[in-house]
Amino acid sequence: MANRYELSDSSVVVVIGSGAGGGTMSNELAQKGIDVVCLEAGSRMQLSDIVNDTTAMHFKMSWLDKRLGAPAWICKTVGGTTVRWSGITPRFQEHEFKPLSTYGKLDDATTIDWPITLEELAPYYDKAEYNMGVSGTHGIPPSAETNEYKVLKAAAKKVGYKEYTSTRAAINPVARDGRPACRQIGFCWSGCAIGAKWSTLYSEIPKAEATDHFELRTNVMAVNINHDDSGKVTGVVYADADGNLHEQKARAVCVAGNVIETTRLLRNSASSMFPAGLGNSSGHLGRNYMRHLTKSTVAIMPGAVNFHRGTRQSGLIFDEQYHQPERGFAGGYLIETAATYPLLTAQTVGGWGARTAEYMENYTNLAATWVSGEDPPQASNRITLHETERDQYGLPVPVVHYEFHQNSHAMYEHAAAASKNLLESLGGRKVFSLMGGGGGCHNMGVARMSADPEAGVTNRWGQTHDIPNLFVSDGSVFASSAAANPTLTIVALAIRQADHIAERMSRREL
Amino acid sequence: MMQGNATRRKFLVASVAFSGLMSTGMGAAVLRAGSAWAQSSGGNAGELARMARLLFPHDGIADDVYAEVIDGILTDSANDASLLELLDEAMPALNAAQGGDWFAAGEDAQIAAMQAVEDEPFFAAIHGNVQARFYSHPKVWELIKFPGSSVEFGGYVERGFDDIDWLPEDA
Repeated sequence: MANRYELSDSSVVVVIGSGAGGGTMSNELAQKGIDVVCLEAGSRMQLSDIVNDTTAMHFKMSWLDKRLGAPAWICKTVGGTTVRWSGITPRFQEHEFKPLSTYGKLDDATTIDWPITLEELAPYYDKAEYNMGVSGTHGIPPSAETNEYKVLKAAAKKVGYKEYTSTRAAINPVARDGRPACRQIGFCWSGCAIGAKWSTLYSEIPKAEATDHFELRTNVMAVNINHDDSGKVTGVVYADADGNLHEQKARAVCVAGNVIETTRLLRNSASSMFPAGLGNSSGHLGRNYMRHLTKSTVAIMPGAVNFHRGTRQSGLIFDEQYHQPERGFAGGYLIETAATYPLLTAQTVGGWGARTAEYMENYTNLAATWVSGEDPPQASNRITLHETERDQYGLPVPVVHYEFHQNSHAMYEHAAAASKNLLESLGGRKVFSLMGGGGGCHNMGVARMSADPEAGVTNRWGQTHDIPNLFVSDGSVFASSAAANPTLTIVALAIRQADHIAERMSRREL
Repeated sequence: MMQGNATRRKFLVASVAFSGLMSTGMGAAVLRAGSAWAQSSGGNAGELARMARLLFPHDGIADDVYAEVIDGILTDSANDASLLELLDEAMPALNAAQGGDWFAAGEDAQIAAMQAVEDEPFFAAIHGNVQARFYSHPKVWELIKFPGSSVEFGGYVERGFDDIDWLPEDA
């Protein structure tokens, strides 16, 4: 198929990635009449390709290219990880933009404050919630209460928690924006087969296409970003499905490959002018990689829950999200439900023998919680490129280095006790917690925003400190992880960044 | 409700979503795999199937399901030399831990021998592969009452997604 835009057309903005960041950026710019070429490494599924088969969907949408180190559950498909995500959309709290000011310096952490505040982002949170159709916001009805949410709510009341909700999910409670209402199908993590859960795959991408200012190229892997002698980026070299290389010229480039691939592309684009990679004069590119303190808890309840019926994550408790240093750790955590299909349940409870079999024979009576807690940035948690191993494109294989900070160990102990207390309050037994369960779903921080160019890779707009027409448009720009699931904040930041890019263009600064 | 995906699922390698294990072999000939493994180690699938049952012991599951799970793993090993090597280590290690013929020993002794080697890489490989296949098997889903795909039935919006009836009154 012929390209809509010529490779030599240097008036386009090239967006790399079509997920929460890239898909949103593409649509926001196209809606303003700015021409966009979006490069997506994966292929494009139709809704009919999405089936209730976790194995088949894993192979259809996951990023399975060679990678070493800690696992990360990113996707290689149009829509990126918004095809797999849960739809949970809490906002950051005000203090979570100021972790250094609020928590002080933590040993072995590289904490900084964000160069932006909640107040500045709030209007963009509003837009993001509206665009994504977040339940319980902007006149959108609340989500229905599933069996598992009812367990969470009853337990929360029992132990004295005050703030809990089944809402704040980007899953349609009623038909809206061309997408149907949720049917409580229960395979959210394998893609929503009816499109009730928000995904850029069937929301932002088709909207961008309807503008006539957008072209999506699928099955193309960005391998290098070129620049000129003045230090401005000029185009993106990509490999097509047959391995042939092409260069799309560009006016500006927005990188949104999810943190691992964003790091790899910027590092691979090293040149004599930028020997450590693009945007990396600070040395922070790839560092300060955050993925939340995560924890899965499973218990056998006294009656049937049937948590496989309905949304995977159907509600959350906010009470533990605040910074209460008397608990012995900085920051806070959210408690969410997390219903798992059988294999993932077996992996979560782990082990073997009669103990494991007992959990599984009680599958219908299981309840589960999942915790997402603030993860202090550490310089040693980072994405690097392997010195010798190469992937199918001939690119250095990424290596993911990740270890929990001591603050996360203290938070885990607290969260495990809180989860046990919750589920035991309703007669749950054999409560088992796994630290790190579900880790690697939330990836943040490798090109963080910083007021000081020495302390991060991007400025308050996600523009690299070093290169004025090179932007980072995904969770890589997070200066802290906060406790919240990251997608809403990624979308809000992308909408804000798109406004900024359009404004700079209108002033002929880009 | 199980019949739809049973045949296809048999040869699919189960997703191991959070464990980091990844098995890639899909659909080579069972016979070829079985004989390659038998020739290389002198072991037999029956012993591994016994190990599979002790890993995930469910009285309601017949032996042929455990045997099918092992068949699938042997199929994978035909195209995966490192997996084949790990499978080869199993019986010598279990026999050594047992101090004799592990397969002929009583159940308690078999479990004790498995506990003695559970930190070995071969054990982790067999555990992960058996877990992935076993808990994706339709017969096992039937036993634990996981109905599988729901979209063709309209999901659970009218089929009990909110029917929980034992919570405290004030909840």
